[in-house]
Amino acid sequence: MSSTGDSIVALSTPPGRGGIGVIRVSGPDSLSALRRMTGDNSETEPQPNYMNLRAVVDPLNGETLDQALVCYFKAPHSFTGEDVVEFHCHGSPVLLRRIVDALLRLDVRLASPGEFSLRAVLNGRLQLTQAEAIRDLIDAQTDVAAQQATRQLSGEISHRLQPAKAQLLKMIVRLESSLEFVEDDLPQLEQSEIENRLAELRTDLRSLADTFVRGRLLHDGLKVAIVGRPNAGKSSLFNRLLGYERTIVTEVPGTTRDTISEAIGWDGIPITLIDTAGMRTTNDQVESLGVERTHRAAADADLLVVVVDGSQPLTDEDGSVLRNANGKRHVVAINKSDLPSFSSSEVAEKVSSGDAMSAVSVSALTEAGLTDLRAAMLKPFVNGNGATEGLMITNARHHDLLLRAIDALASSEALIRERASEEIILVGLHNALKFLGQVTGETTTEEILGQIFSTFCIGK
Amino acid sequence: MVFDEIFDVIVIGGGHAGCEAASAAARLGANTALLTLNLDLIGQMSCNPAIGGIGKGHLVREMDALGGIMGRVIDRTGIQFRLLNRSRGPAVQAPRAQADRTLYRVEMRRTLEATPNLSLRQGLVTDLLVNGNRIVGVELQDARRLAAQAVIVATGTFLNGKIHTGRKTYAGGRTGEPASTELPQSLRRLGFPVGRLKTGTPPRLDGRTIDWDAFEPQPPDKDPVPFSFSTDQIEQDQLNCFLAYTNESLHNKIRDNLHESPLYSGAIQGIGPRYCPSIEDKVVKFPEKTRHQLFVEPEGFNTNEVYLNGLSTSLPAQLQQEIVNLIPGMDDAQIIRPGYAIEYDFVDPRELTPFLETARIKGLFLAGQINGTTGYEEAGCQGLIAGINAGLLTTGREPFRIHREESYIGVLIDDLITQGVDEPYRMFTSRSEHRLSLRHDNADERLGPKGRELGLIGDSEWERFSQRRDRLAKVRRLLASKKIRRTDPAFAHLREVTGQELGDSINLGQLALRPNITVSEITKLLAEDEKLHLQPRDFETALADCLYAGYLESQDQTSRRLRQHDALAIPETLAFKAVGSLSHEMVERLERVKPRNFGDARKIPGLTPAALSNLLVYLTAQQFRPLNS
Repeated sequence: MSSTGDSIVALSTPPGRGGIGVIRVSGPDSLSALRRMTGDNSETEPQPNYMNLRAVVDPLNGETLDQALVCYFKAPHSFTGEDVVEFHCHGSPVLLRRIVDALLRLDVRLASPGEFSLRAVLNGRLQLTQAEAIRDLIDAQTDVAAQQATRQLSGEISHRLQPAKAQLLKMIVRLESSLEFVEDDLPQLEQSEIENRLAELRTDLRSLADTFVRGRLLHDGLKVAIVGRPNAGKSSLFNRLLGYERTIVTEVPGTTRDTISEAIGWDGIPITLIDTAGMRTTNDQVESLGVERTHRAAADADLLVVVVDGSQPLTDEDGSVLRNANGKRHVVAINKSDLPSFSSSEVAEKVSSGDAMSAVSVSALTEAGLTDLRAAMLKPFVNGNGATEGLMITNARHHDLLLRAIDALASSEALIRERASEEIILVGLHNALKFLGQVTGETTTEEILGQIFSTFCIGK
Repeated sequence: MVFDEIFDVIVIGGGHAGCEAASAAARLGANTALLTLNLDLIGQMSCNPAIGGIGKGHLVREMDALGGIMGRVIDRTGIQFRLLNRSRGPAVQAPRAQADRTLYRVEMRRTLEATPNLSLRQGLVTDLLVNGNRIVGVELQDARRLAAQAVIVATGTFLNGKIHTGRKTYAGGRTGEPASTELPQSLRRLGFPVGRLKTGTPPRLDGRTIDWDAFEPQPPDKDPVPFSFSTDQIEQDQLNCFLAYTNESLHNKIRDNLHESPLYSGAIQGIGPRYCPSIEDKVVKFPEKTRHQLFVEPEGFNTNEVYLNGLSTSLPAQLQQEIVNLIPGMDDAQIIRPGYAIEYDFVDPRELTPFLETARIKGLFLAGQINGTTGYEEAGCQGLIAGINAGLLTTGREPFRIHREESYIGVLIDDLITQGVDEPYRMFTSRSEHRLSLRHDNADERLGPKGRELGLIGDSEWERFSQRRDRLAKVRRLLASKKIRRTDPAFAHLREVTGQELGDSINLGQLALRPNITVSEITKLLAEDEKLHLQPRDFETALADCLYAGYLESQDQTSRRLRQHDALAIPETLAFKAVGSLSHEMVERLERVKPRNFGDARKIPGLTPAALSNLLVYLTAQQFRPLNS
């Protein structure tokens, strides 16, 4: 076996922050993925086994995501025995996620646990390894698979998908029986009815798939970085949000020289709150190191709380912090509302030109507005009533399968509108059922037939 | 052992499986004998006098492409041909024909008698003669012993057949014929697991006592599509069938008398086919239906006998008569043969190899209803494959395997031998993962060359095949090369018909994919000289290829992705407990089915994705273990 068909991607370095992060792609589409991710339109094949510095771009919009060392390993001379490409990127989890997401939009799917090793074994690349080593590898995979099993068996997602799957099966049954039992006296099918039901089904799956981004954040925990110019009151706010004095607060700007993070839980959501050094240009070596770390923390965070001092006119430094926050999920905290000179209007005006989710007046001293700030911070991740949503997709493989099922349904809908014959419409429906089946368990032909015979009186 | 006669291949049973088997084995050069209880009933249709239908029609076309005989026989004896699903895509269309029951049987016997190397013998087989684990012949009731290196058992419903009408039961293989009671004992002695299945048949009426005007006629196709690729057209006259309906008073009559039905009194243990329910079942299971459709079908040109399709029943004969008379237009109709249910033995088909040989006894093949299937077509195609392999075995050649990717026959055999049956197995197009490519009209392209290679396709048919292949190539080239441009007068019309933009130009093949584009729409676009040698059937085949081309990939890609590890073998000795991380329930399911490879395991109902991934990882590791030990 030289190739197993499709191409897979996964982060090959441990999750979390690191110096570098390696994303590995294996399968027949690896090379084309590499070309598209590096904007390489050349005719020649890149030289295998050589590292090259390349700008990694999002093929969707051409945005540069990272400068990375990329390497192409030509089949069969690779770890898996297939074409493999590796992206050695900067180690920011957020960045790595974006690159993996971009790859998933190409013809690549997320690898199942242990799938790279599995391919290597299947392609005979691990053949010469000692028996013990292989068994260790396999055992490790079994453990992961077993963990997955328990999670899936008791799986809420499987449970959540059952009605959708039943609905889909019902439509397959309708269409199949109209094909197979043409001589039987079956109820007529309304094209529009099927179309409507499919659209409903797709919307339902879409809403579940859409929980993925938030679901994944909730699952991994939210990283919230408090940023702002020096002495805007970040550390005071940090302490207030934590509920105790964690950092030293002084009147001297630039007191916080390093990022400090603390884990807390709000409404059951794990949150890592990060206090950062004030952002300014400085000649103090220690402080400038801290500022650099602040930039990194900000780049990694899922949410920024931009703190500005509402008792003073906005400075250039405030403006620069606010500008940098644009394009990221962020909330503006207008601090020092206890002071008589406080005014939120200037900030509000400034903020309205950016894309902050909200601006909240707060006093780190009196704690006024603190509840509002907390609510504003959680709002993008929770329902209106403050509780987390019933079920969210946290597993990237599930997300991937849902998206594939949605695509398959959409293709069937288009065919219904074109009045295509049932056997063609059914291709997409069966594919969707198979993708859902990868989450919930496969539906066999026998089950489909069984449902046909229990639904309709068929046969001469 | 002393034998009265010596053959290479013996076929037990002269039904649809037996006829195909005997014909194929003999034509492969094996000295073949067909043994039957009654030589006058070779090729008898025990139930409805019809061949084909969705899925089943596909099987007949495939058999024909391989060199089977069913298609030719029905083409000469069919009294009503219809292509089903005409309004749908070509992949799910299939021919069906009512047969003249008597003519079909006569024509089948004539065909067999004209086959060199084939001897017909009347007799009842009472024992399979085995030496070690190898078949050596059969023993007959009259003490004759016949030797053979291969024996094909194709005994249909005859093994321990038990007929039920009302509370009355008696032994019988079919109405009016004895059951075979000793052969099943022989099979049991050899260790074969045997189960019970059930099927049923409706009453036959005297056509002179029916008021035909009361029923809606169902006319034959004007241009009948034959089953055999070697038939140009259907020559004989075509007859109408008729539609009738049951009603509430009939349903009530059945409900009031359910205790008389062996199905509901508990007398019948065997499992019947869900898609061929008795009228008792229909009434009980679908009480909301106020009427059920019936088909009133003539049995032939030279008889008044009429088959009341849809009213299969095992109620007492007198009650059947009363029920029939409740159908308006049948007030005075007379039953001339009552319906009945029949229970019979079948052998678990998981005993079989893909060649339909038993793994237990070398040279012993099973085909047809004995393997748990229902239907003449399902039986016939197994007979063909068993006959081919018996012929190959006894003439010292490699066996022939037909795959599920290339044919419905392959789907049927694969399903049987990997999954077994828990009700009589019937073909449906949804059983195939490759429905869009396994069309009835391209069976010749899929299987013709294999039939030729086997030696079942004669020179003249091969010449026909080659000509069609060349014509198809030409039509395909035309569809790919001929473009309709914006400047073409037809362009605006096509845009209107499809309701779509067509670009600056579009070739005919792409055009065929667009909405509302019919074969006749495309034909209109051809120049006179292009139409000159165009045969409609070739044109339809080529267009069907275009129609499905895009979806084949989607269908195959998904299946391929899901099936990429299917070939991974599971050692027979594997105890699934050893896999680890499998729940007790999963182990039990696996142990029950004992899958032979990962693909079979994947098809087991109720096996979770997690269990499968654990099994996959384990099997992968196993593969490499021998390297290290």
